[in-house]
Amino acid sequence: MDTQWPRWEVFKQDTPHKPHQAVGSVHAADPEHALLTARNVFARRPQAVSMWVARAEDIYAWTREEILEGLATAKADTGLGAACRYLVFRKTTHKRSMTFVDHVGEVEATSPEEALQQAQARFTDSEALAWWIVPADKVYQSDPSQETVESWFAPARDKTYKQQQFYATVGSHISKHKVGRGVEDDECC
Amino acid sequence: MPIKYGVPSDPDYNERLREFEARIARGEKIEPGDWMPEEYRRQLIRMISQHAHSEVVGMLPEGAWITRAPTLKRKMILVAKVQDEAGHGQYLYHAAETLGISREAMLEALLSGKAKYSSIFNYPTLTWADIGTIGWLVDGAAIKNQTMLAACSYGPYSRAMVRICAEETFHHKQGKEMVLLYAKGTPKQRQMAQDAINRWWWPALMMMGPHDKDSPNTEILVRWGIKTKTNDQVRQEFINEHAPEILEAGLTIPDPELRYDEATGNWIHGPINWDEFWQVVAGNGPMNKERLEARRRAHAEGAWVREALEAYAAKKQKTAVAV
Repeated sequence: MDTQWPRWEVFKQDTPHKPHQAVGSVHAADPEHALLTARNVFARRPQAVSMWVARAEDIYAWTREEILEGLATAKADTGLGAACRYLVFRKTTHKRSMTFVDHVGEVEATSPEEALQQAQARFTDSEALAWWIVPADKVYQSDPSQETVESWFAPARDKTYKQQQFYATVGSHISKHKVGRGVEDDECC
Repeated sequence: MPIKYGVPSDPDYNERLREFEARIARGEKIEPGDWMPEEYRRQLIRMISQHAHSEVVGMLPEGAWITRAPTLKRKMILVAKVQDEAGHGQYLYHAAETLGISREAMLEALLSGKAKYSSIFNYPTLTWADIGTIGWLVDGAAIKNQTMLAACSYGPYSRAMVRICAEETFHHKQGKEMVLLYAKGTPKQRQMAQDAINRWWWPALMMMGPHDKDSPNTEILVRWGIKTKTNDQVRQEFINEHAPEILEAGLTIPDPELRYDEATGNWIHGPINWDEFWQVVAGNGPMNKERLEARRRAHAEGAWVREALEAYAAKKQKTAVAV
């Protein structure tokens, strides 16, 4: 059995003012490969302006259930070495969605557990169902230059035949076939 | 992310199961890291990996027609569609991996012939009209199932399905457009479209799986919110949408017993040939051998790419820029 390489979680930003959101994962040999694969897998459709990737093993994750069970504090081990930056991601809703956690900000801490505690204290605007804490130096971003952003993300936007609206005028509307239920039957006369 | 699951012999199993089922009843999503019954995990791995394999194998019947597309527009559409199927396989392998199974293990199961995938892809694509018919009927059937699964209780599977449904509607629409166009075309085009419908109608109905009474998994899958509808319910939705549209296009459906039932508003179909279904599932369909061989060949021929990328990564320390 051959290797499929390490797993990388992918964060996609749809527009400049939206947060990076966790969309799924890819397998890749290095950060550059992970970003290229992420672009092919997750940016075939609009919109995207930026992507981040981080190795799955560099991500510290907790669900609300785990925190209630005390797993986060049991693992807490503060005071080790110097403080470093951690990116904080959070999920706040059970609503149907394409994405998991959203990037909400960053904290400085000496351990991931301390970073989680800081995040819980700082990001209190809504209840968190899941947290991801990632050391900032383990997150790699797509090239932000205008040229790369265009070449990576514009083709998906311009290929309108990939959108169902491109075929919108095909056949009758479904309601026409719902005998005795549609309102259109009555409206015609 | 550790996978936490329980078995009935655990001392706290019943209590945890009650909490778990209460969460699902409240409409909460179960996420990686949350407690789940082992059986929930097992059923999800089975379903999601089969689903992923189906997307990957599903590229083959259509991929074969990319070089023979009649126009540049149709070719671009088909390339995009096959590329989507590859992406859908990736979304789904990702969802299964969150349950603690490795992608290597899943690919191994597919290539060894141990894993199942949707039996529809073991039928041949004989003419160009099959490409339109697959989009309209096969993807149409798949969307009904996937829309139902988008509401499922397991977060990663639900999210993959929401993403897939958004893209799959394009597959359905382009296929429908193509078949309706041929139905209005020359007698030969019309005949080609009819021939494709005749061959794909029944396999499409089989895609939802056995009748509810013969589907032992359904009860627990519905109870745990993995499925929110039964096989027969999804099949009925599919027929109710597609049968009148096919007939409106002036095409016929190869089911002499098909009839519209005024009382229920349902289109009632004749008996499905389940012997054929189980034969194909058992590996005796028209294309089972070819599909598996094509997958194995693609995997073997891609080995040098995987090796080269690994060597390149080992040589290069760090290339991308950290945030």
